[in-house]
Amino acid sequence: MLGRLRMDVKTAIKHYDKLAEQVFSDIKPWGEDRKIMRAKKLEEVIKSMVGSVTLSRDSESPLLERDQAGACPTYVY
Amino acid sequence: MSANIPQLFRTYQSHEVPLNCKIREAARATSATPALFERIEIGRAQPFIDGGMGRNNPSWLVLEEANALFPGRKLGCLVSIGTGQGGVISVDEPKAMIDTLKKIVTDCEATHETMLRLFTNFPDAYFRLNVDQGMQGIELSQLEKLNIVEAHTKHYMRRNEVEKNIDSVVNAIRVPKGQLLIEQFSTAMSFMKI
Repeated sequence: MLGRLRMDVKTAIKHYDKLAEQVFSDIKPWGEDRKIMRAKKLEEVIKSMVGSVTLSRDSESPLLERDQAGACPTYVY
Repeated sequence: MSANIPQLFRTYQSHEVPLNCKIREAARATSATPALFERIEIGRAQPFIDGGMGRNNPSWLVLEEANALFPGRKLGCLVSIGTGQGGVISVDEPKAMIDTLKKIVTDCEATHETMLRLFTNFPDAYFRLNVDQGMQGIELSQLEKLNIVEAHTKHYMRRNEVEKNIDSVVNAIRVPKGQLLIEQFSTAMSFMKI
């Protein structure tokens, strides 16, 4: 969020809270069906976040940043 | 994916062939956890099953990556932020999971100790912030306990020695000392690496 999506700290926390609520608000924490659903939900939330904060408004934005000017090299693993 | 060679998902070009993945795919791959989030396959790569596996304290990784990315540059500082002593990970298979948890904590602390040794002669170049009390028993998916995490974190940050440490972090970022070249670490690292 801070790196690729260039959010400031306040915005990142706001989005993270929203994301956590949407992804983890289910009642039954474990089980195969839960983890598939949760992964789907996570992907959905990330997609809409990417679509709303990137300049191109493209929810399918690539991780690789085409224009490196002013960008902070970031990796996740 | 091998436990010792994690796949890095980069926002920049590197010496490695890029995965060409989307942001949403990187988020899925790095959150994948056997008990919580389903695995994901990206292109022809092997499925990503467990994002945190093997390297739970990425200090080595970041030094290695910085060394590859910025040859000839000096190191400002390395700030390592933990998720809280005691681990905030939990799974429903008690025995096996407790063992894994212990291993993760030991692994993180061992890396921290090694970093302390590596940076002994370079004050204000390595910092580790990690809430050390109260995080035990809080599971990764327990959203309702987020306020407890916040309370313990605030308490930790108000402690005198931590407050001073955070001030030093801010100073080190604002006015980097640049005490030595990143590549000088690679020699030390190859000696110290376990």
